[in-house]
Amino acid sequence: MSDRNSDFGGLPVDELVAKADAALGQRKTRVRDSHWVRTWDHFRREWQIYVMLLPTIIWFIVFLYKPMYGLQIAFKDYSIFRGVANSPWVGFEHFQTLFSNDQFIRAVRNTVTISFYNLLFGFPAPIILALMFNEIINATYKRTAQTIVYLPHFISSVIIAGIVITAFSPTAGIINTIISWLGFDPVYFLTQPEWFRPIFVGTGIWQEAGFGSIVFLAAIAGVNPSLYESAVVDGANRWQMMWKITIPSILPTILIMLIIRIGNIMEVSFELVILLYQPSTYETADVVNTWVYRQGLQSGQYDLAAAAGLFNAVVAFVLVMTANTLSRRFSRTSLW
Amino acid sequence: MRKLGLAAALLAGSALSAPAFADGHLRIVEEPLELTIQMNHARYPIYEEDWPVEQTARELTGIHLLNDTVGANMRTDENTGRTEALNLMLASGNIPDIVGSSRIRDFVNQYGPEGAFVPLNDLIAEHAPNIAAYYAERPDIEAAVKAADGQMYYVPYLPDGKYGRAYWIRTDWLDALGLEVPQTVAEYEEVLRAFKTQDPNGNGEADEVPFFARQWPELIRLVTLWDGRAHGSDTYHDFLVEDGRIDHGYIGEGYREGIKNLARWYDEGLIDAEIFTRGSSARDFLLSENLGGSTHDWFASTGGYNSLSSEIEGFRFEAMVPPASVGGNRIQEHRRILVKPDGWAIGHTNEHVVETIKYFDFWFTEEGRRLANFGVEGVHYEMIDGEPIFTEEFLNAGPVNRSLYQNGAQLQARGYFQDYSYEIQWTNEFALAGIELYEQGDYLIPDFLGVAFNAEEQRVYDRTWGSIRDYMLEKQQSWILGSADVEAEWDDYLAQLDDMGMQELLAVMQSAYDRQYGG
Amino acid sequence: MQKWSLYSRGDKFFAVVVSILIGMFTVATLYPFIYIAAVSFSSGFAAQAGKVVLTPIDATVEAYGYILRDPQFWISYRNTFIYTIGGTIMSLAFIIPGAYALSRPQLKGRRFFNLFIAFTMWFNAGLIPFFLNMRDLNLLDSMFGIILAFAVNAFNIILLRNFFEAIPQSFEEAARMDGANDFQVLWKVFIPLSKPAIATITLFCIVSRWNGFFWAMVLLQSEDKIPLQVFLRHTIANLSDDDEFAIVQTAAGFSAETVTAAIIVCSIIPVLIVYPFIQKYFEKGILLGGVKE
Repeated sequence: MSDRNSDFGGLPVDELVAKADAALGQRKTRVRDSHWVRTWDHFRREWQIYVMLLPTIIWFIVFLYKPMYGLQIAFKDYSIFRGVANSPWVGFEHFQTLFSNDQFIRAVRNTVTISFYNLLFGFPAPIILALMFNEIINATYKRTAQTIVYLPHFISSVIIAGIVITAFSPTAGIINTIISWLGFDPVYFLTQPEWFRPIFVGTGIWQEAGFGSIVFLAAIAGVNPSLYESAVVDGANRWQMMWKITIPSILPTILIMLIIRIGNIMEVSFELVILLYQPSTYETADVVNTWVYRQGLQSGQYDLAAAAGLFNAVVAFVLVMTANTLSRRFSRTSLW
Repeated sequence: MRKLGLAAALLAGSALSAPAFADGHLRIVEEPLELTIQMNHARYPIYEEDWPVEQTARELTGIHLLNDTVGANMRTDENTGRTEALNLMLASGNIPDIVGSSRIRDFVNQYGPEGAFVPLNDLIAEHAPNIAAYYAERPDIEAAVKAADGQMYYVPYLPDGKYGRAYWIRTDWLDALGLEVPQTVAEYEEVLRAFKTQDPNGNGEADEVPFFARQWPELIRLVTLWDGRAHGSDTYHDFLVEDGRIDHGYIGEGYREGIKNLARWYDEGLIDAEIFTRGSSARDFLLSENLGGSTHDWFASTGGYNSLSSEIEGFRFEAMVPPASVGGNRIQEHRRILVKPDGWAIGHTNEHVVETIKYFDFWFTEEGRRLANFGVEGVHYEMIDGEPIFTEEFLNAGPVNRSLYQNGAQLQARGYFQDYSYEIQWTNEFALAGIELYEQGDYLIPDFLGVAFNAEEQRVYDRTWGSIRDYMLEKQQSWILGSADVEAEWDDYLAQLDDMGMQELLAVMQSAYDRQYGG
Repeated sequence: MQKWSLYSRGDKFFAVVVSILIGMFTVATLYPFIYIAAVSFSSGFAAQAGKVVLTPIDATVEAYGYILRDPQFWISYRNTFIYTIGGTIMSLAFIIPGAYALSRPQLKGRRFFNLFIAFTMWFNAGLIPFFLNMRDLNLLDSMFGIILAFAVNAFNIILLRNFFEAIPQSFEEAARMDGANDFQVLWKVFIPLSKPAIATITLFCIVSRWNGFFWAMVLLQSEDKIPLQVFLRHTIANLSDDDEFAIVQTAAGFSAETVTAAIIVCSIIPVLIVYPFIQKYFEKGILLGGVKE
């Protein structure tokens, strides 16, 4: 439309424009008509799925989206007494405060690093566990073991951390007892920065792998048994069936869980870090949530804590969008 | 007898002059007046109208408090200082007439000036003669309670009694090894070494843990033995005040010397190898397993471990006076602080502020104070020779401090002045003996009572203090553990702290201090 | 599942190695529970002093006596059941139809709706706005409020949607040819075909309700509405002494530690009882066998 004065194939421009407009107008009405008709048609045919979706959407609006105005306190000097609306704007001041702090930067780095190790070791652990359960023949053994491995999920982090601290104690802990038998000097693991991450990630696997395996067990249960039957006929062994049938069949579940896991990259089990770290291990252990907590922001300064939270959310969201796009492109599995 | 003698001595030092008794003189209102209250504390999450102490107060004053606590199930956490219940109450927009909580100071000092709480200076001057009388005697405490705008917004809980923590040592081990109670840091070191090497528990193994602590910052306190300073108040790693000057222990020469020596002690095994992670069970475990030699811990609770003598032959764990430092000073850095950040305040929608401040003042009268400290006469205590004495029945009904707050006495979410004599009656004899020992010397030093910042100072503090504290603690621990050397790193350490704004921080602390305590 | 006798030697070896590895992991994960159980039956002092390793020290059942005598324990136990059962039913009522709708290719704005839901996994309002919202909805201190306000979460709905998407189109087409509408397709095809997935979601709902405590602490005022996990925290607070006045009771029958452990044991038992009922849906092949006809 901006090219009104240009010359189109020798035809007078005005005439051309008039024709084009007429055609366009015609098509527009036609499109609108058919659009409305089709939409009407669609809803008349498919209204049931919208009815099914509606309660969920309303729920999300009422309980999660409506209070989201609270996010703006990240940009305000928030006073609980004045309320969100009456607190003055401060722009990006809170973000400046965060990013001018070396320890916050370090905490961001640690968070990402710990999450990366969690992804590398903690993510495959429940999958491997589920695949292993699938190979167990004795049903009683299998059921008993399954019931037990998910128990630690129900035991609070305080107790789990207590057990870990005892196990790694330099004087009486089982780990150092073994190390001493082998003729080495005991190590005060929990005060050494280089040991924090292995201990933390290992504890996470120990506590959560069993519970995490449930979703993969469910996925494996959904694999069509006839696939295995024909594989047996073809003379495949168990190892081959696992790689050729089980894993490909549960791949969508693995991918969804992976994308969600990537989305949790800024969330490191805060409670467990608090319980296991020491000033001498802050260097490798301090994560964003624990930093925020230690600054005393958990009680009073909701605004700065909200800024840190918003930063976490944006980082995680960007990563998930990337992972989601890649996954859509290569596998048809995606969060949205 | 010794118990009572001490009780009388301590009481005489802290008693308040109070108006004479007269029936009905404590009545504040003719017609009973109802006021709402938010009261939240880890141990008593709501205000309970049927606490016997409250029922008595209601009869005496005519003021009837009604529980209106928001966030009761959150239970303000003493240790982490979480105040979500207060935050939720404020957010909900319904501020009750009275708000009582632990950790209330920073909260009211922030929101009082914004208008959420009623300023109390004039009200106290006009209507609260007993509170005013207390502040007239202790202007330092009055100053400590004030917000940056010079107003008081809460009436605090004021602890009584001087002593908190002490040095404790296995005196039976000393006897077994033919050693005396150490009088200097050098002797203390020798004793700890003897504990490690001469097998005082006699099991043939060098498994003794000479020095241990439930909270590792108590280890850092030992830098006072090298004339350093650690914690300036009952908050760990706090600033300190010396002759009106604000400073921090962790940048002093004595601290450097102390850390150097503590690192040496740690390396030699004189300090619990797992002091940083053993945590709260350290004292229970190491003493009952006959392993622990010496610690720095509360008088009241530590003395009780002597009951282990029924299981461990000859077990004696006794307080000793602080060993003389290298400079010849005997210092006990920890003491019971004079004023806590706990207490109660008046909400801005309260329509009976005069009656409310009179009610607050009631708890500072002689009867009110006794009620807050001892409970109800004839039920929890009897007056014997003019002194409130707990009944045997009450003393035997379980942990006394717990029984007290279950009856509405000794509530730290109430503004009141504690009376130390309530405690003497049930404190362990070894603890009392230790306190008497400390009474004979002059080991305590003044606490830093905190400052209220104005907006600009607050900004500097918020920006710098968290990072500075973290850095200091990281270095501290790595020096003691031997993964770094304090001597080699000291200059860099100070330079780094200055980079992080240490001088600026000290300057704003000082300016706030000068304004508040009127240099 | 194949018969053992049909396994090749290599497969047998593989199965044995796997069984041993699972056994080792199982023992390792059993330890926390054994430890908790041992603590719950130990004397208060032994537990407080950290002396319990594997078996009870100075065995006693006083910790159980203490909690079982406390009426508040039973009230909160009952409440946890109400929150768990009511909450799980409420969750499934939202999640199953919602996930079904989101899995339908013909849903207009499907990507938008999925994003709309997933977005809440990262962005949330924060404590105080959420609290005020609940107040405005008149759902403070309400058991129904707790059940409703935590009924849905993005993770569960996306997970179930994903399982639904994996169901072959042919099953649905067959039902459609018989004239089934969406409600019937969901009820007669998708739900029976997704038993393991629904069992998983059910389990997730049960577990998060069973373990949840934070929002109950924030939103509930009355003590007679709190769930077990909040009761547990209150009990710890009630039983822990001041640092200063902690009383040494070497002969104490119970302590905060043993009572905590006893409550945890009591709270795990129902989970242990429920799990086998859900677990049976994870057995391979139960599904397609069931709907083949």
